[in-house]
This record gives sequence, C-alpha cells and structure tokens, in this order.
Amino acid sequence: MVEQLVTANVATNLYWLGRNLERAKQALYNISKAYDLIIDVDRDAGVKLYKKFDIELKYDNSIDFLHEAIFGEHSANIQETTENARESAIICRHRIDSEAFGEIIELRALFNNIAKNDNEIDYKLIDHAHSLISEIWGALGKREHNNKSDLFIRMGKLVEEADFRLRFNKDETITATVIEEIDAIVQILSDDHEHVAQTQSQSSNTTDLITLVNSKINQIVVE
Amino acid sequence: MLEKNTGLHEKFWEIFNNQDRHKIDEFKAYMDKFAVNFNLYKDGNFIEQSLPFDIVPRIISKKEFSKIDKGLQQRVKALNLFLEDLYTDAKIVKEGIIPETFVKEAGGYLEKFVGFSPSQKIRAHINGIDLVKDSANDEWVILEDNLRVPSGASYPLSIRDTYRKIYPDFFETLKIEPIKNYPSYIAESMNYVNTGGINVVLTPGRFNSAYYEHSYLAEKSDAQLVRPHELKVVDKKVYFKNYNGKLIRVGSIYRRTDDDFLDPKFFNPDSLIGVPGLVEAYLAGNVALMNAIGNGVADDKGIYYFVPKMIKYYLGEEPILKNAPTYLPYFEEDRKYVFENMEKLVIKDVAEAGGYGVLFGHEMTALQIEDLKTIIKANPRRFIAQELIEFYDEKCYLNKELQNRKADFRAYVVMAEDVKVWQCGLTRYALEEGNYLVNSSQGGGFKDTWVMEL
Repeated sequence: MVEQLVTANVATNLYWLGRNLERAKQALYNISKAYDLIIDVDRDAGVKLYKKFDIELKYDNSIDFLHEAIFGEHSANIQETTENARESAIICRHRIDSEAFGEIIELRALFNNIAKNDNEIDYKLIDHAHSLISEIWGALGKREHNNKSDLFIRMGKLVEEADFRLRFNKDETITATVIEEIDAIVQILSDDHEHVAQTQSQSSNTTDLITLVNSKINQIVVE
Repeated sequence: MLEKNTGLHEKFWEIFNNQDRHKIDEFKAYMDKFAVNFNLYKDGNFIEQSLPFDIVPRIISKKEFSKIDKGLQQRVKALNLFLEDLYTDAKIVKEGIIPETFVKEAGGYLEKFVGFSPSQKIRAHINGIDLVKDSANDEWVILEDNLRVPSGASYPLSIRDTYRKIYPDFFETLKIEPIKNYPSYIAESMNYVNTGGINVVLTPGRFNSAYYEHSYLAEKSDAQLVRPHELKVVDKKVYFKNYNGKLIRVGSIYRRTDDDFLDPKFFNPDSLIGVPGLVEAYLAGNVALMNAIGNGVADDKGIYYFVPKMIKYYLGEEPILKNAPTYLPYFEEDRKYVFENMEKLVIKDVAEAGGYGVLFGHEMTALQIEDLKTIIKANPRRFIAQELIEFYDEKCYLNKELQNRKADFRAYVVMAEDVKVWQCGLTRYALEEGNYLVNSSQGGGFKDTWVMEL
C-alpha cells in the first residue's frame, strides 16, 4: 500500500476535528431533548444531562439552560467546542472537503454572532446548528475513505460516539460495533506498528475505554 | 482616471446589470464562509481578518495580455540569468554593466552563496511582478519585481471560484481565460527541480499572515504542507516526518519563509521557524528550494533600475515592458536631478516593502524635503526615485455604489523548463480614492482579473 503522508500535527487535528464535531452534534441533540423537558415536564432535565458530563449546571429556566449549555463556563461549552473544531479545520484545511470547511466556519460564526450581538437564544439556533453539523458530516463523507488521512476524522467521530453511547448507557451491542470500527481504523492507520492490541469491546467504563483508545492513538501518531 | 471602456467592459456590464443585486450579499457571504483571511499582528495582537475584496473584475483583453505575457517571460528569464550569473561567474559585474559595490550593498545579496548553482540552474521559480497601466500613454509599466516569496495568488483563485459559483452566466457567455492551472504550474516547477523525493510547501505556521494561501496551494499542487519542525535533516538530506514516525525524503521545498529565518544554523540563530541543517542539504544539491536563497538581490529596488540592461545583456533584446522612469541618487547625475525635482517624484527606501518607506514628493513640506535630501546624501544607495505614474483607476462596487480606486496588478510568472505567465493575477486597489498605495498591509483590497476576448 502507498504510504499515506500526513504530519502528526495534521493527523491530530483531523482526529480532533472529528471529535469536536461529533461532540457538538451529540450534545446539541441531548440539549434539545432536555430543553423540551425543562419547559413543562422536568425542570431538572438539564441538571441530569450535564451530570453525565460530570458538570454541575445551574439555570433559571429553559432559555437560560440553552444559554448555559452553549456559552456557560464549563468544559462542554458548545461555543468553545465549535471554536476548537474551526481551529482544527484551519490547520488541516488542505485535507478536508472545501464545502465542509465552509460549513465549519459558518457553524462557529453562528454561535459567535449570537454572543457578540447579545442576541437571544432559542430552539431554532440548536436546530440550525444540528443541521449544519449533519451537512458537515455529509460533505466530509464525500472524501471519506479516499485517503487514509480521512480515517483520522472518522476515528475522532467514532471515539466521541462511543463516549456518548457509554455515558448514556446505550445498547451495548451497537456500542461494541462502534468500538470494533475504531479498532479496524487503528489497525489500518498503524499497519507498521506491532503493538496495537484489540480494544476490550466489553468494557463499559467510559474513562477506561477513552484512555485505551487515546493510548492507541498516541501509538499511531508519533510527534 | 478610468480606462476607456472597451467592448469587453460593455459585455460585462450588460450581464452584471441584469443580475439580482442580492447576489452580491451571497457572494460576500460565500467569501467569508471560506475564510479568505489575511492575518496580521497589530499592537502585539493576532488579528484574523477577511481581506477586503471587490466584485467588479479588472478586464484585460487577451491581445493586451499577450504583450504582458511576452514582456514578463522576457523579464523573468533575464532576472534568472542575472541571479545565476551573479552567484557564479559574475560577468555582468566584471563587465561593468552593474557596479560591483552597488550589488554587494544590496540587502539580499548573500556572498556566502557565491559559487553555488541550484538544481536546473533555476532560481526564480515563482515570481510576482507588479505592474500598473500608465494613463499617460496606455502602456503597462513594471513597478517592482518580487523574486523571494511573492504571495497573493490564492486570492484570485478563491474569488474566481466564488464568481463561477454565484455568477455562472459570465463564464458561460464570455470568453474568459480559465485560471485553475496555477497550482499545476507550481507542481510542474517543483517537479522540474526536484532532486528526488516528495514536494512540500514549508509554512511558518498557522499564525502567519498568508497561512490560508500556503494551505490552499499545498492542497491544489498536491504537495505536503509542513511546518519547520516537521522536516528533519539527516546526513545533508531533508526528510518529511510522517505521522507514524517514518522519514520520507523531500526533493523540493516551496518555502514561504524569508532567507533570514530558513535555517537557524546558517542564518538567524534565534529563528524558531527554520529547519536546522537545511542550507547544508541545499548546498549539497540534495534538495531544491523555491525560490532560491539569495534572490533578494534581484528584489532590491535599486537593482530594479538595471533590469532593462540585464535584458539587453543576457538576451540581446529590447525590453518589451518598460520600468517606471527611475533615478538612482547613487549616481551623481541622477542625484542632481532628484534633488531638483523632489516635489514631483516618489522616493522609495530600497529596504522596505509592502507600501512602507514610500514618500510622495508632492505630499511633503519644504522642510521634509530638505531633511530627506540630507538623509539621501548620507546614504544614497538606500533610495531610488521614480516619476509619479498616474495609473488608471478601476471601478469598484463599494458601499453599494460604484467608486474609483487606483489599482495595480501583480502578475505571477512561474519557471520550470519554460517560463509561464498565469492568465490572471492579483489586482489590488487602494483603500481610499486618490490613494496610490494598494498593498494589503495598507488596507487595500483585491479583485479578480479577467483576461478576455470578444
């Protein structure tokens, strides 16, 4: 097989682009669900959601919840996640689809404009951002599997997906297939490395799984 | 002053006037979305900003461009021969065509490289030649040669891409020269001088003002984009550090870093954006650098004065494109003329670029002129003086109305086995009406350039 050329920096940023995009997508989906519940079913739905991310979120009402989820000072801040995705996209721009790049710029601008102009947040923003990320994944998919380097994005996406699935106790058999795909990608990307053990797909501990995957990625990407 | 409208302009306006004006907003949104950025540092802060652009293209007829094309090919061939000669036999100096001291005092002249000849004897691979069209005689005039690291080619590529998407009518109806071949010119040049290995574009990194362009050109020319520490020199050979730790041999480097910062072992030891050992590998003939080290001497505004002489000396031809009338205070006769006519001349500091160090005599007070004369007397090599060229304005659609702005034109000339002139270029317009400085660093914007025929 022809050697895939990509610097460690670009590989890492492709991986993190995948992770941050998927993180934003999964989070927005769950925020949208929690928002709906907070209105008139369960005021604490947002608190429960963020507990899964080990974050203690405080809010006064449903709109305030959206504001805190997107702009609040915590590690799952959506604005920051999209900012990080944009930064990675700029660094590895030459490796991603140009349409996808444009959508990533737009995604970040969407949140930044609201923050800058002090505009009100509502469900439309969440829906719009969610659709935009779906479009980004669609555009990225145009190139997917064309190059080995595209697998770094895919791997980031799957790692994040596995993380969410484990945090939300989703169907284990499906989670196992996600992890199997991560393993397959790790094998392809590390075809010259001998010490890439299979991930324990039965592992149900998120921290352990992510630590294991990260150690594999560190094996693949040599700075 | 605007250039006289031609049938080509009329054709453009005929289509443009029938377009929905909302499309202009769509155009701007598209450009913003694709982040055609120009990064800069202001007051110590990193600012990422969109480069201003205008939707109305500059139109040059194919016939007119054909003369520019021939003139630029001739000029770049002569400049390349000059550089190769200067750093090897130095006949042009020995025969007194250019004074030796004048050359040696040029900031970009690097004595340490005398005797070295690069791959295929090509030094001026990628060149940006700045021209204006003189309204006095309708002729294109060369203002400046950029043979070190000329930037800006990705901007017309981006705006053209946007144009074709938003306004396909123009490109379906009019005979506009396509421009997508520019990255292939770069690839061709890299391949031609390649000493064995992959091609890479060397960028100082994400926060460089032209990072967008580095990334764009790497992608389109199928080269790897690398930062300095992603290259490694072993036994005078350059290697690309792959993500998996493997070292892949590099044969050609399109570097977007000035000479001074290229290799901390050879040039500035404090450079954080250099590749240690790169110059040794280059001098051993193990890697090609585009453009060659030491080209700064040909960029020197004082050396520019001698380019018409180089054309005659090396090619035995008359220059097809003329320089702006230029005087060197270094020569006594010229100095006398300059001092007597300061009010109508433009004085340029040869060491400056980007529109800095340019003084317009008509804007200076008598006291300032006297001060400048004293400075020139003390160091005449540092300055050149040029007649002020009243170059044409271009129509720009700014703030929802058509306004006139002075505009220059940077042509891109790429050298491989042959010299090729890109059938496009960067038209830059000034920020304010009447301003002659069009540089991006002076707040100027850019527009597309269409080479067209009826």
